[in-house]
Amino acid sequence: MTTANLKVVEQGKVGELGELGEVGNMASAPARDVICVRNVLKRYPGKNAFNALEDVSLSIREREFVSILGPSGCGKSTLLRIVAGLVERSEGEVLVNDRPVAGPSPDIGVVFQTSNMLPWLSVEKNMLLGTQLRKLPRQQSQARVRELTRMLGLSGFEHSYPHQLSGGMRQRASIGQILALEPSILLMDEPFGALDALTRDLLNVELLRIWQERMQTVMLITHSIQEAVFLSDRVLVMSPRPGRILHDIRIDLPRPRLPENIKGNPRYGQYIAEISKIMGVY
Amino acid sequence: MKRWLETIVFWGAFALLWEYGVAALGIRRYLLPPLSAVLQAGWAEREMVVGDAWVTLCEVLIGFAAAVLGGVALGMLIHFSAFARRTLYPFITALQSMPKIALAPLMIVWFGYGFASKIAATFLFAFFPVVIATLGGLSGVAANLDEHFRALGASRWDSFWRLHVPAAMPSFIDGIKISMPLAVIGAIVGEFIGAEEGLGHLITLATANAKSDLMFAAILVITVMATLLYWVVEMASRVVWWRGKAV
Repeated sequence: MTTANLKVVEQGKVGELGELGEVGNMASAPARDVICVRNVLKRYPGKNAFNALEDVSLSIREREFVSILGPSGCGKSTLLRIVAGLVERSEGEVLVNDRPVAGPSPDIGVVFQTSNMLPWLSVEKNMLLGTQLRKLPRQQSQARVRELTRMLGLSGFEHSYPHQLSGGMRQRASIGQILALEPSILLMDEPFGALDALTRDLLNVELLRIWQERMQTVMLITHSIQEAVFLSDRVLVMSPRPGRILHDIRIDLPRPRLPENIKGNPRYGQYIAEISKIMGVY
Repeated sequence: MKRWLETIVFWGAFALLWEYGVAALGIRRYLLPPLSAVLQAGWAEREMVVGDAWVTLCEVLIGFAAAVLGGVALGMLIHFSAFARRTLYPFITALQSMPKIALAPLMIVWFGYGFASKIAATFLFAFFPVVIATLGGLSGVAANLDEHFRALGASRWDSFWRLHVPAAMPSFIDGIKISMPLAVIGAIVGEFIGAEEGLGHLITLATANAKSDLMFAAILVITVMATLLYWVVEMASRVVWWRGKAV
């Protein structure tokens, strides 16, 4: 098998499903586009005016797990914030669930790189905070937070305060806070960027398990090629600033993905090699 | 227990040094009377001392409360209104850079010899740190938390009460810790300029009558009062335990 078998398509030119296509899990019922970004341009005006993004188009289907890779400063975080309704686009169109984005939406949960725990609230109260701000029913939220606490390995730390936790646990609690909202779309901006490699790998596995159970649509910003390949159905590679989507790579690795049956898979290595070459880090 | 012992030994040594050091060094009584003479003078005039202390305490507490409320209100106004930031903020800063002691006589002219002018002087001395601390606390809320709240669709009300107020508390506490001793200074200065009661008035009265021991008794009472008031603020500020616990 050569790298030529990997389906690396230029943006806009959607190719045939390659040899590897049959292995993937995306062959299920046709899914609609949940996130649709069309010709988005983001200009930061002022004396040092520059374009952070130029002519960015992408679409993410329901229950798809898509990672966005790019060199630092390429605008990938800006792109996520535009989809989240936190930053306004200068040109172009962004549709989430077929509606134009005009601000933060209750369909979307955003996990940021920093843990965003409030230091004066316990872990449990922090995890409930989002549900309170979104005015979700209290009892269901409490039940959900209890379940997430267990799932995320935070049992026994409900009444601890964020400063008493390790960085990895804080980040897990942050993810729990967002998952408690049961968003249909999960946007993550380098959620594990500040963590050590070991914690990161563990959280990746956990994230996949949760995603497989709940099957949200996920858009993940990362600068780790390994992480992107391991987690995603598709990896989008962005150019340096002004950011554009250069490549759209389908990752046809079997699911459920566990480190033991993925990391030894030759195709996993080939994807990483291919993307590294594209990004010029090989 | 050991720490209590240290404290007692330290203050005991200080009292003994005062009591016997004065005589040993041959310092004249009208310059610095021995501690026992100060305590005796204070005890002899205890009704007046207690009465004056009560008056000063009321002035300090009411003036301080006004400074905290007014300071928070002004700080919030300047934080939330761009207009106030352009107009009121420079005005308050200019007012602050004036020596407030120079304004104290004006307070007497405006508000008379009674209670009101002392409250005004106390307020004037104590409010500015509260304004700055409130302002600093509110504008120092981490940008990532603000964005997080926005992403969670928080209302302005929720953002204010659940994020901005608790985040501003450590800075606010610093402000009132600075403000508390200033309030005591304000009340005493007000009483110096013109008053018929209060510990400041007692000091001027004792000085005029060459009663150094009574003057020192008044100073001692002020010191104890100011220390206790600061300690109360310090204790109250422990409610804000998350200072420095940013994650």
